Amino acid sequence: MNSTAGLRGATVVLDDRPILRAFDLEITPGVTVVRGPNGAGKTTLLRALAGLVPLAAGTREVPEASLFIGQRPQLLRGLSARDNLRFLAAFRGVPKDGVGPALAVWGLDARTAARPVETLSAGQRRRAALARIDVERGDLVLLDEPFGDLDEDGGAHLLRAIRVLAGERRRIVIATHGRPQLDDFANEVVRLA
Amino acid sequence: MTIGRIILVAARDLRAERGQPDGLIAAVTFTAVLILLESLVVGPLTARQPAIAAALFWIAMSFAAILAAARSFDRDLEDDAIDAVLVLPGGRDALFAGKALALAATVAVVAAVGGALSLVLLSLDVSLPLHLALVTLLGVFALPPVIVLDIVLALRLRARAALVPILALPVLVPQLVAASNGTAAALTGDATGALAWSGLLLAFGILYAVLGLALGPAAID
Repeated sequence: MNSTAGLRGATVVLDDRPILRAFDLEITPGVTVVRGPNGAGKTTLLRALAGLVPLAAGTREVPEASLFIGQRPQLLRGLSARDNLRFLAAFRGVPKDGVGPALAVWGLDARTAARPVETLSAGQRRRAALARIDVERGDLVLLDEPFGDLDEDGGAHLLRAIRVLAGERRRIVIATHGRPQLDDFANEVVRLA
Repeated sequence: MTIGRIILVAARDLRAERGQPDGLIAAVTFTAVLILLESLVVGPLTARQPAIAAALFWIAMSFAAILAAARSFDRDLEDDAIDAVLVLPGGRDALFAGKALALAATVAVVAAVGGALSLVLLSLDVSLPLHLALVTLLGVFALPPVIVLDIVLALRLRARAALVPILALPVLVPQLVAASNGTAAALTGDATGALAWSGLLLAFGILYAVLGLALGPAAID
């Protein structure tokens, strides 16, 4: 993927309060880690990159195949994890037959994946959400506090998945408080005040 | 925006409604109670007058559609499921149109149940059943674009539940007038009237669908 990705002069105002002011960020292939205290604007930065909050000024440039996984699992209740991911795969035009194996790799067997998401634990829902990384194959992957709700095994699996994505020269932006080891293999660590 | 993606969103919504049918149940229950109350409050002789029965049926349909649509969006806002769709290329357009299509299908079920209840409880005679079916179908498809657009406009507001009926119902008045008159015409055997009101309903449906498609995706921001 050679296209550029990032924000130029981006200003985001929410409830009359400027969260980002003339903010520049160029996202290079590999891992970019966003750190900062509560309320610094980490989530807003990722949502701005995802196109989920409008820019009051500046420009946003991202590849079409962008994937944003927020702090909540973004799975529609009333559907199973499998059906949620099959819908997203079909919408993007990627093969749906990768959904079952991806969920299995993230620790959800076929029976669990077929249950309505509201009957799953928070950790299982988080794993199902993260399985989207393998299904949707985004060129830009935005992860907001992805380690939340994950146990040790899940966290270790996510770290491995991030390393694989970085090895494939995909762009990964991670907003997180924890996991300082991420900084060791990040291209850039963005610190928001 | 492709038809395929709209159908995908509509199918996703309908499957979720099947898994958690609280929106459909609320809409059907509301409609049934309103029809039953009508016959008790105004008396069976007044209640079975075609103009009154038709008007009450379509008022019930509009509130039932608002209930079902609100529940559908509530479900999407829980766990931020809507964000996964909005980030997809063409997601905003497909979300609006898909939600409207799914709502039309849900309201069609409510209309079938509510219509059958009206016919039985009020002992209504139907002179032109095919015309009645046509008016009902067009009436059902004329409601969702306005309601979905108004819910989208109020999506992030706490007062959404109160605002949506206030925003939607005044705009729906022309549709409700056309649907009520068309239904009454079909009940009384006025074929020309039923077809004329059907044409008006079709025009309203197309107008608001185009307006909704133009405004809805931008309004989501």
